[in-house]
Amino acid sequence: MTEHFEELAPFPDHSAALEGLVGLSSGEPLLSPHAVNAPMISHWIEAMGDENPVYVSDVAARRYGFDQVIAPPTMLQAWIMRGLRASLLVDEARAAGTAQGSGPIDTVMGLLDAEGLTSVVATNCEQQYGRSLVIGDRLLVSTVIEAVSVTKHTALGTGRFLTTRLDFTAVPDGDVPENPTPAEIAALSEDGESVATMHFRILKYLPSARAAAPAESEARVGADAMRPLRPRPSVTQDNAFWFEGAREHTLLIQRCTSCGTLRHPPLPACGNCRSLDWDTVTASGRGTLYSFVVVHYPKVPSFDYPLPIGLVELEEGTRVVANIEGVEPGDLVVGLALEAHFVDFDDELSLPVFGPVGGTR
Amino acid sequence: MGEKKLSWSDVNIGDEAPVTSHKLTRTDLVKYAGASGDFNPMHHDEVAAQAAGQPSVFGHGMFSMGLLASALTDFVGVGNVTRYQVRFARQTWPDEVLSSKIVITGKREEGGQQLVDLSVTLSNGDGEDKLIGEATAAVPG
Repeated sequence: MTEHFEELAPFPDHSAALEGLVGLSSGEPLLSPHAVNAPMISHWIEAMGDENPVYVSDVAARRYGFDQVIAPPTMLQAWIMRGLRASLLVDEARAAGTAQGSGPIDTVMGLLDAEGLTSVVATNCEQQYGRSLVIGDRLLVSTVIEAVSVTKHTALGTGRFLTTRLDFTAVPDGDVPENPTPAEIAALSEDGESVATMHFRILKYLPSARAAAPAESEARVGADAMRPLRPRPSVTQDNAFWFEGAREHTLLIQRCTSCGTLRHPPLPACGNCRSLDWDTVTASGRGTLYSFVVVHYPKVPSFDYPLPIGLVELEEGTRVVANIEGVEPGDLVVGLALEAHFVDFDDELSLPVFGPVGGTR
Repeated sequence: MGEKKLSWSDVNIGDEAPVTSHKLTRTDLVKYAGASGDFNPMHHDEVAAQAAGQPSVFGHGMFSMGLLASALTDFVGVGNVTRYQVRFARQTWPDEVLSSKIVITGKREEGGQQLVDLSVTLSNGDGEDKLIGEATAAVPG
């Protein structure tokens, strides 16, 4: 199933080793440096602009049925961050090639780096809460590697998705001895109350020559400065409105104002009633894959290959030809649900590109 | 246990939470880096971000997730969210106005709990989605 992409050819394929690490725990649980406390909550809610009194006043908290002040739910991860100093030490060690850690997470990250997938971006986060955290809770977290994907093409570049699961337990801060040993931390984690679970998904990737997500048009144009521009579309007075719409990031469909029939590609007259009168409607951008090709050859320097090109049937009923991104060519099937986003290829040319609904681009 | 905001009998699929908006600033990112312990320089060091090919510093995904969570807890009441998941669809940039959109998509009783499902989105002024996700919250009886 794992395709070894051309751009990864200079690097080794660690698929087998990575597969062997799935399901493993990161080893010792981690003890949060601080118990849940008012000053850290205060900094957090100030950053968020969240003025709910339940986070600052025991009186308000009791009004809502809590014994005392609670922590904001999404603060979960903040309790287990190692902090600036420790992070810098880890970075220095990594830069010096003496990266700490022999746990499976470090091993996975090392293998992915070796595969050439040195860049990282967070793609998904899911948190499930057992109960609200209260002042005095001391958190312990165990991390499990849940999944490592096959290599995929994404808008950012070729890479693998790594999903980890973090299981959070809490113990009263008073139960934690000073300078606990790893065995004592493991015991605390066993005895702790399960309070939350977090799934975190990252993309480790090799940045593509055209590196940038759809949103970062400026970055994309910058990175594209070295490659020739895309061929110019043949713009006429009949279809100019469509390309102008695309520049405004709007997907337009021509509509006959006499009989209401929608048509695409743009034409001067209605194929149904021959009327020359028309206006446009804005498409939702949602559709399904009606047909497609994946171009491998000949390679035109202004495109990336393999190059999937789809005929997408919009939910309004007309069909449009566009590039498909964010789906591995082998995963393309007729009927695939897609949605459009716009890409600014250069100062003059913006076009809709379709990707999976709810998928990662 | 939880703040009583929604009333089970009045909750309907399609109901929307009030929109909350926030204009992102570089100062927000500095404050959030300190509050969260996430000191990735892409979020506070303009020179480093540009050297990495980014147009500027950009927002922490978890900051956006937190902003949207505040809009969510304002709507369903604190202490009631049981599950909250997002996809980081696009980066956020300084000076963008980030607005929440929260819609009730389901209403069910499960394990003796009254639950609502919600779709949650954070987008900028141009309607570009930054976070797309879902949440489940208990509605205290």
